[in-house]
Amino acid sequence: MELAVETRGLTRVFGSLRAVDGIDLAVPTGSFFGFLGPNGAGKSTTIKCLTGLLRPSSGTMRILGLDPLTDSVAVKRRIGVVPEDLALFDRLTALETLTFVAEVHGLDRTVARDRAADLLRLMDLQSAGSALVTDFSHGMRKKLSLAAALLPAPRLLFLDEPFEGIDAVASRQIKDLLQSFVARGGTIFLTSHILEIVERLSTHIGVIAGGRLVAQGPIEELRAGASGAASLEELFITLVGGDTRVPIALDWI
Amino acid sequence: MNSLERTGARDTLERFSLAIEQIGPIIALTLLAPSAVGLAALGAYAGYWLPGPDRVAMFDLLRILLLVSSAFCVVGPLLMPSMERTNTVRLLLLPIHRRTLYIAHAASAFSEPWVLLAVAALAGVSAGLFVAGAVVAAVLALVAGLLLILALVGMSTLCASFLHLIFRDRRRGELLALIFIVVVPLLGLLPSLMGPPSGTREERLAERRARAERLARGEEHLNERGIRIASSAFGFLPSELYVRSMRYAAHRDRTTAAASLAGLGLSVAILHALGMLTFSGLLRSPGSSAPRQAARATLFDRARIPGLSRATMAVAHAQLCLTLRTPRGRSMLLSPLLVFGMFAILLRRNGGAFDAGFATLNSGLGLATVSAATCLMAILPFAVNQFAIDRAGLTLALLSPLGRRELLVGKAVANGLLVGASTLFCAAASWMLLPSGHPALWIGLLLGLAATYTLAAPGVAVLSAIFPRAVDLNSIGRGSNAHGAANLLGLLLFAVAGAPSILLTLLATGLLHRPALAPVLMLVWLGICWICSRLLFEGAAQVFARRSENLGMVKSER
Repeated sequence: MELAVETRGLTRVFGSLRAVDGIDLAVPTGSFFGFLGPNGAGKSTTIKCLTGLLRPSSGTMRILGLDPLTDSVAVKRRIGVVPEDLALFDRLTALETLTFVAEVHGLDRTVARDRAADLLRLMDLQSAGSALVTDFSHGMRKKLSLAAALLPAPRLLFLDEPFEGIDAVASRQIKDLLQSFVARGGTIFLTSHILEIVERLSTHIGVIAGGRLVAQGPIEELRAGASGAASLEELFITLVGGDTRVPIALDWI
Repeated sequence: MNSLERTGARDTLERFSLAIEQIGPIIALTLLAPSAVGLAALGAYAGYWLPGPDRVAMFDLLRILLLVSSAFCVVGPLLMPSMERTNTVRLLLLPIHRRTLYIAHAASAFSEPWVLLAVAALAGVSAGLFVAGAVVAAVLALVAGLLLILALVGMSTLCASFLHLIFRDRRRGELLALIFIVVVPLLGLLPSLMGPPSGTREERLAERRARAERLARGEEHLNERGIRIASSAFGFLPSELYVRSMRYAAHRDRTTAAASLAGLGLSVAILHALGMLTFSGLLRSPGSSAPRQAARATLFDRARIPGLSRATMAVAHAQLCLTLRTPRGRSMLLSPLLVFGMFAILLRRNGGAFDAGFATLNSGLGLATVSAATCLMAILPFAVNQFAIDRAGLTLALLSPLGRRELLVGKAVANGLLVGASTLFCAAASWMLLPSGHPALWIGLLLGLAATYTLAAPGVAVLSAIFPRAVDLNSIGRGSNAHGAANLLGLLLFAVAGAPSILLTLLATGLLHRPALAPVLMLVWLGICWICSRLLFEGAAQVFARRSENLGMVKSER
């Protein structure tokens, strides 16, 4: 099985905190990989390590067969990222942002212009194409960030909470787009707290808790393994140990 | 990023720079207590001697301090956004009456140091009068002091609310910020600009006599009339009303003192009525009202510099857009032009010679040199913080398939273009206004500036990587300034990089007496600088690589 993302003992330490603690990820090429975990589990730190924003404390990584630490520019040419903090220049317009991405990727100008127009139309941003990003709402920024990630037609997409703050219509269109991306052989590495979306889109999942990978594999296999959990939510709660918490009843509400 | 912030994983430099930033308020607080005691003592001394027949110099000093305090109440909310009042939007969610909200909003003005220090000084005046045996005057001082404090609080609250209303519209706020950044530093030059041309002592005396005669005939120039009206209005400032009431009260002229006191009371009522009105306006629509700003046609597809990759040009374009679309960035271009304009006017008015304090300007070439230095200095806050100013955009650059060198060179090119454009304009205008000096020296000046910038560019990139500071380029005060250490070292770096150009010019003109040689020497020096710069950028890229993780952390920290 060809792997789009492969890590061995990936660890990132911040002072005394092991945010990512020796995880061994194996994301098959052409899969829609949902990376789940409770708040502060280490999802974003993992994505930052994989995309080169953070340097791992130890362990190895292969992205599309390349080592992102030694071939960082080559890896970045092949991937698209929608990071947690929406990497956008405040003082560029939507169109300029896409042009910036096209230029640094060395795309042909005519191709870039056509793709930018398509993406702005898809994200319903064509009317805001000449507005500065600083005036955008959170949802608009999210859509623009996604458009910027898609523009160079990457082979692997890292999406950190891509549906947060996006309206239902755009969300539907984006989901369709992402599914067709995977159908054409692309790979998606997605984190989201909306388990219904992950369940509907993902072919594989990985679950991280306390910096450790507690499970990964095809979603149906994991569900079958967890005593036939009816939904991804049940499976997730079982894996991260949510059931062991004592329920707090607020009778006064 | 959250994990990084939570664990505080920073290297020694970040800890050091953070400590410097955090120690500021502690030092301020430590200085506040003895300052308050000192001002109370000053007030008591002034109050004690005020009933006497002589003019009390300490009371005059107190008058100035109260004026300064009033001025700070007006500009404080503008200069120190960190001292922003309570978040009204959040408070609106609570079941609190609007009048109570206004009182809470106004009460927060008591946390401002200038108000606290004024309280100490005014209490001192009352105590001094009491000790001097002027009991009625002491009581009046207490009332007047209380009214003045209420007036200061009213001014501060009114200004804070008014600024909130203005800045709520981003574009309006940016315009105000730009005006403030560009115009205020130039106010110091206004007296020279509006006053009579400098000349000999006899000429100045003759001018003064002529003015007195003119005024005696009832003839008044427009600026003189403006000054007279401003002086009359000045007397109605709350601090001036306080001073007047105290002077009359101490000398037992209670009717006049009461009239001034009534004026002070009226000003308090007006200030708080206006404050309440403005605050209510703020509460009615606390959200942002800025329409989307459409940018002019992009430069991305057009300009191209031979020898630079598309990625480098994209970085340069992004940097140019950032600069030209923020108040602080625009001020970087406008300030040198305004300084140039001021000096040019002064030079023309004074027959081609003007004492600028640091040097005597007596030629167009001198004016061009000063302007070029101003242009270079103006870029400093941007150049020494070139990564952190991108904020989230830096992440986009770090995620893009950009070589580190491309990123660094792109930024250096953009900053260089800005310095070059403003310098060229100033030099051309200087040449047209005062076309003196050997033409070769004019060319040498431009080449020397280019060499200085080329040599310093990798250094300022290193400073930006080592001392990043999260800034808001829409901010007027220190919120948009680069790290203090980076600014200082950057200044030194420019001075060191510029020294060889100055020496080469002196060599050509002073030692060899061949000004025509200056551009040749400078061209050779520029070539050497360019080669050095290419090598130094390799080192700068290494430093950037080591620091990119930290830069990613700092950019979003506010």
